[in-house]
Amino acid sequence: MSHRGELVAERPVPGTPRPYEFPHTVRTTLPNGLEVVVTPMPERELIAASFAIRAGAADEPDAVGGATVLAARGLTEGTELRDAIALTEAAERLGASLHAEAGWDATSAGLDVPASRLAAAMELLAEVVRRPAFPESEVERMRDERLTDLIQARSDPRRRADEAYVSSIYAPSSPYHRPAGGTAETVATLTSAELRAVHDRAYAPARSALIVAGDVDADVVLRAAEALFGDWTGGPSADAAPIDDTSAVTGRFVRVVHRPGAVQTEIRVGHPGLTRRHPDFHAVSVMGAILGGLFNSRLNMNLREEKGYTYGASAGFDMRRGRGPFTARAAVNTEVTIPALGEFLRELDRIRQDPVSDAELRAARDFLVGVFPLRFETPGPVAGALAGLFVHRLPHDELARYRDAIEAATAEDVLRVAREHIHPDRTAIILVGDHDAFAGALEAEHLGPIEVIRDPEPVQVAPGAADEQAGPVDAVDGGPTEGAEDPDLPGTEDPSDPGSDAADDVAGIGTGA
Amino acid sequence: MPVPVVEFSDERLANGLRLIVVEDHLAPVVAVNVWYNVGSKHEEPGKTGFAHLFEHVMFQGSAHVGKAEHMALVQGAGGTLNGTTWLDRTNYFETLPSHQLELALWLEADRMGTLLDALSQENLDNQREVVKNEKRWSYDNRPYGSWNEKILGHLFPDGHPYHHPTIGSMADLDAASVEDVKAFFATYYAPNNAVLSIVGDCDRGTVRALAEKYFGPIASNPSIPPLPDMSLPAVLGTEIRETVEDRVPLPRVYIGFRAPAFGDHRLDALDLASQLLSGGKGSRLHRRLVRDERLAQDVAVFTLPFVGGASVCIGWATVRPGVDVATVERAYLEELERLATEVPSDDELDRAKALTEADELGALARVEERADRLSMFATLCDDPALINTLLPRYLAVTGEQIRDVARLVFRDDNRVVLTYVPKPAGDAAASGEAAA
Repeated sequence: MSHRGELVAERPVPGTPRPYEFPHTVRTTLPNGLEVVVTPMPERELIAASFAIRAGAADEPDAVGGATVLAARGLTEGTELRDAIALTEAAERLGASLHAEAGWDATSAGLDVPASRLAAAMELLAEVVRRPAFPESEVERMRDERLTDLIQARSDPRRRADEAYVSSIYAPSSPYHRPAGGTAETVATLTSAELRAVHDRAYAPARSALIVAGDVDADVVLRAAEALFGDWTGGPSADAAPIDDTSAVTGRFVRVVHRPGAVQTEIRVGHPGLTRRHPDFHAVSVMGAILGGLFNSRLNMNLREEKGYTYGASAGFDMRRGRGPFTARAAVNTEVTIPALGEFLRELDRIRQDPVSDAELRAARDFLVGVFPLRFETPGPVAGALAGLFVHRLPHDELARYRDAIEAATAEDVLRVAREHIHPDRTAIILVGDHDAFAGALEAEHLGPIEVIRDPEPVQVAPGAADEQAGPVDAVDGGPTEGAEDPDLPGTEDPSDPGSDAADDVAGIGTGA
Repeated sequence: MPVPVVEFSDERLANGLRLIVVEDHLAPVVAVNVWYNVGSKHEEPGKTGFAHLFEHVMFQGSAHVGKAEHMALVQGAGGTLNGTTWLDRTNYFETLPSHQLELALWLEADRMGTLLDALSQENLDNQREVVKNEKRWSYDNRPYGSWNEKILGHLFPDGHPYHHPTIGSMADLDAASVEDVKAFFATYYAPNNAVLSIVGDCDRGTVRALAEKYFGPIASNPSIPPLPDMSLPAVLGTEIRETVEDRVPLPRVYIGFRAPAFGDHRLDALDLASQLLSGGKGSRLHRRLVRDERLAQDVAVFTLPFVGGASVCIGWATVRPGVDVATVERAYLEELERLATEVPSDDELDRAKALTEADELGALARVEERADRLSMFATLCDDPALINTLLPRYLAVTGEQIRDVARLVFRDDNRVVLTYVPKPAGDAAASGEAAA
């Protein structure tokens, strides 16, 4: 290329890092037990306000599976003071999108709002949390929407794989065996009364925190919180019962969900992992980054950059109050399904055999430490992380000590936690794809018992037939803990939704799929 | 509630590279963002998907950077990164702790200057397979996954540069050669065809000097070929209908329209119209189809802004079990037509504007988004000041303007209606690669 000049050959050395600390946070507990957590962030004009309750889908009785998630959605569907539309319009006039959701560990309601309108927005937040009406007609509609969503999930290979995976790795006694949003059988029975029961049983000031981050005065927020929530009493303060996270994986086995003609196979490999409060959290974060979190992780470099089997291969731990799943995953073209599966199992073995290299260790630690200030550039993620601390009852200095704890992880730690928390001989293997294309090759691998599931072809269902067609599929995740302490930070985003305006992203950096 | 004004510098290096810099010392982070004025609209017949495949090759190393080392160095510096390709452009971006700014500049300059030094058949073949799997994952093995290709294919005639999808076809991806990469690079990946935006914790003068140091030696390409004339009639001229059998349990109706090009003030009004129609629970389509009449599981309307001749406005409704597809389509179109005849109330419009304003405040708070917008406005409109002027334009839109643009766009001779229906039971052949 004659028209190109001489470029600088040497990689530049970094400058001096500007010191960074997680922003100073003010915590106050009101007499009724409500924690008020405020993080002033000067010049951040869009305020994040979040109300987190330690009441998750894992806390509900099996018979009403999905009630917690539906109740959370129901918070913004009408209060004692106004119906859903009036509520939405009131929020919109403030420039605020009011939302509420529940996951396994917690329920949260929140909004982002310009600072000048925070006071009015907090009133709305208090109204939906304290005085939801759960109108029967809205509950019925939400229930039907959930049932319809379950039907749709069956036809999406990704969601079908996730559903088959969790129902394979957890014992039926565990709530994690089913979707957080409930199954068709349980959701179909839910009425306004069950949602009100969730509210009565689980929403209480002593199990809740109001978290506000942005350009705010902590005293002003505290006074508003006292005015809005100070007279809220009653409800339980005791913790819910321990979560049953019993594993169903005692050896290695394969489940194939047959999709005739599928051009890709969705692969899931793994087993129950560990809780968020496990003392190995930081070492596992480093190990997970090396195995399947970074773009240059072992799995992604092997399956994508060397073999070209996939748009992205990853692995990670979903750490909940109970032992959430450890999952290795990729979508591979049908012809390479069995070779790709072999590479997954090889990498899960290899991370347990020898210490990781110095370069791998440094890359993972430097990423996790270095990306920390980027994560907390704006109020939303700050509030999210603080909600995570509250939900998991983590110490107040958890975020402040995060980087030191990551830096302290050694190659020996990584090897130890890999051996302790990854079990290639005790894994479920889920394949959603064209079984006819790889049946022989799969059997020849002798990976363990093979079960083939043949879903009925999707056909358009008649009204009222929804519950016969639907199966348990998990559509619900998140909650206030999302994004707070992921050990595989880059591994969660959907790299290329064709509905977005940025099509065809390179890299699916550490893509979650 | 004023959205802060973004103060930026805007200049060109001697080789034509456009450099835009914003100092913002609030957080110790900096965003580096490069837009190349090349997208899938520049692809020749038989080479669809190439601009995007090329984007992947940009991560396979250059003279001083090894395969996948770009990712390793940025993530190892505590940064995040990606690249994307779309009809009008290709972009690459990194966000890093601010003391790592120079690393990102060096990496971007090295591949802009010396990509071909590291090009190999092996790496091209590897990324070809990755991209084919991206196509399978994002389109072929996904319910309703072909809608994008089909709607653009109908809204833009055969031969128009927007007619084919950015992801391309399997056959064309298979045909892409090392020679194609060399030619594409030599033609389009020149500093005078790029915008470099840097936003965050940096010093403007230092950035200027660093840009000169790293990008200055890269020579420009004085002969970048112009695009063919992309203008086309404002309306389609007829309604186009297609029914697609797919492996889906619920029918879904997609409706697409031709719309004014990016930069046209009428597109601002159309964006607000989309907000009125489907932005949240209080929106018209949601309220009627999802809540009141319970015909649809979900609804959407959005615009995809393009600069070449026309943008598009696309929407959909997923049909509830047991509901007649035609009923859903009729109700959907009635709401669009109502917007074309009645001026919305001030309250409804004010709510849409308040949400738009808050969304902007949130988006522009992030250095990455600010850098990307500056590059976008400079590349597509030659007007980076749009970062400050576009929101006031939105806030000035009147109800009459919304009605007028709805009347212009939501016409029955300007729409594509794409209806997905469940494949009849027993027909096992998947939709998918055959479509490519």
